[in-house]
Parts: sequence; structure tokens; C-alpha cells
Amino acid sequence: MPNIRLIARLDIKGPNLIKGVQLEGLRVMGDPEEFATRYYHQGADELIYMDVVASLYGRNNLTEIVRHSAQNIFIPLTVGGGVRSTDDVNALLRAGADKVAINTAAIKRPGLIQEVARRFGSQCMVLSIEAKKVSEGKWEAYTDNGREPSGLDVVEWAMRGCELGAGEIMLTSVDQEGTRRGFDCDLVRSVATAVPIPVIASGGMGMTEHMVEVVKAGCADAVAMADILHYKRMELPEIRAAGLDVGLHVRHL
Amino acid sequence: MEKKNVQQRYNLPGEIIYCKKCTISNQRPRITFDENGVCSACNYAEFKKSLDWDQREKELVDLCDRYRKNDGSYDVIVPCSGGKDGGFVAHQLKYKYGMNPLTVTWAPLLPTEIGRRNLDDFIGVGGFDHIMGTPNGKVTKLMTNLAFHHLGDPFQPFIYGQTNFPLKMAVQHNVSLIMYGENGEVEYGGDMKNAFKPTRDIEDHDKHYFSGLPPEFWVEHGVSPADLAPFCAPRYEEILRNKTQIHFFGYYKCWDPQENFYYCREHTGFTPNTERSEGTYSKYASLDDRIDGYHYYLGFIKFGIGRTTSDTAHEIRDGKITREEGIALVKKYDGEFPKKYFSDFLSYTKITEEQFWEAVDSWRSDHIWKQENGVWTLKKPIYEEG
Amino acid sequence: MKPVVTIIDYGVGNIFSVCRAFEHCGAEVRLCDSEREILQAERLVLPGVGAFADGMAGLRSRNLIEPINQFAGTGRPFLGICLGMQMLMESSEEFGLQQGLGLIPGKVVAIPSTGDNGVPHKIPHIGWNELLISETNRVGTIFDNTSSGSAVYFVHSFHVVPKFSQSRLADCDYNGRMICAAVRSDSIYGCQFHPEKSGEIGLTIIKSFLDK
Repeated sequence: MPNIRLIARLDIKGPNLIKGVQLEGLRVMGDPEEFATRYYHQGADELIYMDVVASLYGRNNLTEIVRHSAQNIFIPLTVGGGVRSTDDVNALLRAGADKVAINTAAIKRPGLIQEVARRFGSQCMVLSIEAKKVSEGKWEAYTDNGREPSGLDVVEWAMRGCELGAGEIMLTSVDQEGTRRGFDCDLVRSVATAVPIPVIASGGMGMTEHMVEVVKAGCADAVAMADILHYKRMELPEIRAAGLDVGLHVRHL
Repeated sequence: MEKKNVQQRYNLPGEIIYCKKCTISNQRPRITFDENGVCSACNYAEFKKSLDWDQREKELVDLCDRYRKNDGSYDVIVPCSGGKDGGFVAHQLKYKYGMNPLTVTWAPLLPTEIGRRNLDDFIGVGGFDHIMGTPNGKVTKLMTNLAFHHLGDPFQPFIYGQTNFPLKMAVQHNVSLIMYGENGEVEYGGDMKNAFKPTRDIEDHDKHYFSGLPPEFWVEHGVSPADLAPFCAPRYEEILRNKTQIHFFGYYKCWDPQENFYYCREHTGFTPNTERSEGTYSKYASLDDRIDGYHYYLGFIKFGIGRTTSDTAHEIRDGKITREEGIALVKKYDGEFPKKYFSDFLSYTKITEEQFWEAVDSWRSDHIWKQENGVWTLKKPIYEEG
Repeated sequence: MKPVVTIIDYGVGNIFSVCRAFEHCGAEVRLCDSEREILQAERLVLPGVGAFADGMAGLRSRNLIEPINQFAGTGRPFLGICLGMQMLMESSEEFGLQQGLGLIPGKVVAIPSTGDNGVPHKIPHIGWNELLISETNRVGTIFDNTSSGSAVYFVHSFHVVPKFSQSRLADCDYNGRMICAAVRSDSIYGCQFHPEKSGEIGLTIIKSFLDK
């Protein structure tokens, strides 16, 4: 079976890697390419670059960073933030991205998912969903980096996105993100069991137990981590080893 | 309703100019701009970078050594609300500098859930002794209504109380030292006279926060001296006898509100809101009172300076965002009407919606606002500047 | 002397990454979309992601099918990656029956939506999966320096079913389903996975191809 992927997620603003808490407070951590290169060499399975101010400026600004990163990093790269048209997607793919993550633009115009899937293939169309808990078992999808409610039910939206041609879902818990208190496993499981496409869980990892839990109880196919890596609380080889120790199906290096 | 002369009342320049470095305009009362078009707050921020903070910390250590009591009684009063700023100050003083703080909060008018939770966590997770001062609710509502109508700021009575309560507690508990977070005038652009001192003169507390309404005014409107007493400072002689001193932690430590957020996240269980505050983009500041939004909104009406402008201004100075980003954020969020708690606000102050808008519009100065087809717009917003 | 590799640019897929990976491995990369360049190539790479029909249409509209077939007859090294590998086959069932290059007998069909125990699994097959290469098959191929069990990166919803088992150079196991990970017919190779996205292991495979 394919291995559970351990993905390093980098939130980028302008030239900087930044990190927040609950998608808030944007502390500058440093040069994104430096971090990305390190994660590649430490065995990250994939990288995700998110442009966190894209919705403010109305465009994705990561093309240059993608181009540079693709020079020496040979693992899949997903890029998101402010992607609004198939032309935007094309520009990022030509620069070296493998997949594109779309949230706000897809909610505003779901037909975009179909267009991207048709023109470039489902495998490159990652539907990014920011989920905020409304009540037990119910989550609402947010846009603009966790700032604006959309009125959409997350599970229903995920299913619809899949029908329209999304190849993967990247699911971020707005409540858990940056808190290091674990993932929202109920959320992940609700989505992962509702769609036949892979689900990447993002937001909340503080220790390796959380990773194990979101795969076992949450049925995640991949785990995205940010805070734990950027603040060097743990390094990827350690995290991978801890997963293997408890029988998690991650890649052996 | 008669239009107020905002320009005269607040001594505002007729031409609107924006700071070259941040998003604030010269309409913020008492702010000054230098010959390069840079505001005093930005210049102060630059100045902060050149300071010897090790030396300042030494002064703090000395101060604490002088005031520490070591006998179980309180040796410093820390005014707080359960938020990131008071939280940072209290935690540092207690756990780093070995003081025994009594933390004090002047009750929010209409507390929010997240605000109460953060205050409980501050007390229960951070670990602090705490006193909440809650004045008579009926009186507070009446005063809030009066302040809204006569001062164009419903929050003014709260601010009087909040300013004076720590003085009262200091006197009552025989604590001489009061430690605030930052000196708002100095950090955000205002009266710069205390920029080089750690303290604020006790006599000063009158000048900025009472907005010139004498006790007679209140009596005339049904608020007796006894009703007013909780909001007032203790008698001056008692303040002197207590050897009361007001210090600013921002003098001793380089003040950065966003860093306070991270600190409190780690140490006092502080949680940001999961949705942004209305009128701005941030989720970690000023979360505790449902009335808050109306204070900021009226600031926007009077000065063209909304919550986003204030938030972006200090984040630019603290190096968290660029001016370009600040302007984009101002364009997106500044002046957004806080509708979430509007009905709560109206029923609290016993004002009708019609009265609200009539009053609000009476504070729109012609030098800031223009009306086109019944719609009010800013004459010179920052995002239309070259 | 740097090995020269010609990469076909037919409007489909992430050309940049493929080029970079080959450059990183010491090759001189030439992008081409013309008959002449293909025929003159020392070694040829056909990359691609997306739908089979789009890929074939891209080749057809540039009149590249004939030259590719001719090149394949020369015995010079040829590598198809992902969609490129699928197009080497005779046909594909994706969006109706489509005709491929026909360089290796076999077809392209949808990956079964369940594991061999009947439990549904995720489609596309996305992630790192271990290459199962038989020892006898390995030597002299692009897996010269790659041990069986090395994980490489897959992302696809359709898989290749070669007609003859000797065409199967490597497989991978997806919940009990054997998926063809690589094919070979003399000097023609196909990788369903992305060697340019498989870290050091992928680069080793690329270097091996450059040595052919």
C-alpha cells in the first residue's frame, strides 16, 4: 500500500516563511527555501507552499520561490494561496509546482475545479478546505486564510469538490492550527470516509502521537506539519522513526 | 441633531496627511509628524531599536528590588483584562522578577465568551491573584448612554473606571507600585513627554481620559456623586500618602503586542478568537467586550482612523508587516461596521437604531467625510494616495 | 562530454521539473517539439501528466507520433514517464478507447477502486510506494543501482497492463493490487512513477538511464 506521507507545510508571505497560531499572528521565521531544502534532505515526502497574503493582494506571488525551490528539490511540491484561474495554475505548474491547492476561488466558483481537472488532470487539483467547528460533528468552511465564513458544510463541500474533479483534499482545522494540541480527528475522519480521494490532515501537530492518531482514528492519508518543524521542536527523521516504531505505515528511508 | 465641531474639539489639522512609514494619519489626536512626514510613533519605534535594553532591564530589576516585599503581601498592582498585554506584564513580574502582583480588572460592560475564558485561563493557568471591580450595572448603562450622546464615545466611562480602579486598589492594598503595559501616548502617537521616563505623573491621569466632563454634568443627568465614586480616583492625598507610582513595562522591555500574544499563548493559556474582530483582520487583540467595536467605530467616524489602521500601524512599526500590506488591509477592513453585537449595544444603552445613526453622523467632520448620493465616503483614504 | 537528453515538450505536464532533474544528474537537456530534433536525439524522454487523450492529441497535433516511432526503432534509449509510459502502450480506456503509440504491447485501464480484499481504497494512487524489482530483471536496466523495496513517488488513476510479463520491469503493491511500476522493451523504458520527484532514489534511476 502507499505509505502515509509526511508533508512539510510552509506558509509564505513575500520573501519570508512565517508561522502563526490558529492562522493568526504571522511571525517571520526566515528564508523559506532554506527551510524547504532542509526538509527535503531530511526526508520530507512532499512540500506545500501556501501564500498567506494572496487573497489580500488578489494574486499568488510564489512563482519565483517555486522556480528556485524546484532547482534542487526533487519531491512533489504543492502550491496554494490566491490561485484563481487555470492560467494561474498553468503559471505555477510551468514554474515547477506539481499540484495546486485552491480554496477561496473554488468556493466562489466551483466550476474552476472542473476546469483545472480537465485541463491539467485531477492529480494536480488539490481542494484546500479550512474547517472551523460549528457544533459536534459539524464544521463550516472558511476562506481568506481562516477569516471569512462561507456558509458551506465541510463534508458536503468536500464531496462536491471530489465530484467536480479534485484529486486530493487538504483539510486544515482552523481551531487546531498552530496550537500543538493535536488534529481534529473527528473532522478528518468525517471527510476521509466521505470521499474516495486522499485526504491530507493539516493543523495541530504537537507530538508524534497526534500524527498516529489522525492516521489511525482520523483515517488521514497524509499528515502536514508546520510548527513542529519550523520551531525545530522535532526533526523529520525523528518523527518518521517514531511513526515506524508504533507500526505506522510511513516510508522507510 | 447638531453637528459637532470635531476639528476644533480635538484640535485636528485641516489637511489629512498620512505617515510615510505606517498607516496612521495626522488626524489621530496629539500625534505629531516630523519634517520627513514620519509620525512620532514611528520615530519612537526607530528610537526603541537603538536603546540599550539590557540597561533598561537592569533598571527594572532595581525597581523590583526596591518594591519587592517578600512578606506575602502584594508589591505591585498589574491592571489587566485577561488579554495579552496585562498577561505578559503580570507573568513576567511574578515568574521572572519575583514580584507578588495583585492583578486587577475593571469589568467589561458586556463580556464576551472568549474574553471571560481568557481571563479565567489567565487566573487559573497563568496563576494569579485577581480582583474584578464591577460598578453598579444600572449606573454604568446610564453613563454609557450619556457618553455616547455627549462625547461620541460610549466607552469613556469604562475608560475612567479602568484608569482609576488600579489607583484605588493600590491605595486600599497599600501597594505603591502600579505597572502598566505600554504608554499608549508614546507607543501609538500622542503626547510624547513621557517617552524617556518609565512613569506617568499621577496628576496627568486627568488630562487625556476624562475628556473634560465635570462632575456637575453627571449630576444633572441623574448620576449622583455616590454613583460616580467607583469610577473616580481615590483622593489625591491618599495617593500621595501611599507613595503611588505608575510605571510602564514598555519602558523596561521593548514593547511588541504581537509578541505578547505569543508569550501569553505559551504561558497563560491565552487563546485568540477563531474569527477576526469586526473592523480589523486580527484575532488576538481587544477581545473581551462586546461594546468595544462601537468605540473603535466612532473613532473611525471622528478621525477616519479605524481599528485596522491602528492594528496595521503598530504591526508595521514592529516589523511584522509592510506598509503596502497594511494599506491593503486598511482598504479591506477599516471602518467595517461591527454588526455582530449591534442589538446588544442598542439594548444596553437604550438607544434606537435611528438615534444611533443620527448621533454617529453628527460626528462626521466635513474635512474628513463627503456624502455622495446618500453614501458617506472618506475624502482622502490612504489607499487612494499615490 | 555530457550525455545529451532530448525531452519532448508537447504542451502537457511539468516540463520544468523533469528538465531540472536531468540537468542535476549531469545531462545537457534539449527541449523539443519537432520531428528533426526527435530523430537526431541521443536519448529521448517522453514526460507527461493528465489525460491520455490529451497527451496523444498533443503529440498528434505536432506530428510527433511518426518520429517517435522511428526513434523507437533505432535502439537508442527512450524513457516514458507517468503519462509518457502509459502512451507507450497500444491503447487506453481513459475517457473511451484511445489509441497509444503501440511501442509496447498492452493497454491502460483504471486502477481498481478496491484493494484485493474488497475494501475501497483511495483513487488516485498517490504517494511513495516500494518498487518490487526482481533480481534477474534488474541488471542492465535503469534499476542497475536501485534495490528492490526502494520507494518512489506515484500519482495516477490509471495503470498499465502489459501483454507480456517480460515487459514488466517492476511492480508495486497497492493494497494487494499489483500495479505495474515500470516497463521495458529493449531500450525503451517506462516509469509510472516520477523519478524527478522521488528524491535521491529517483535521481539514481535517472543517472542510470543516462548511462545507457
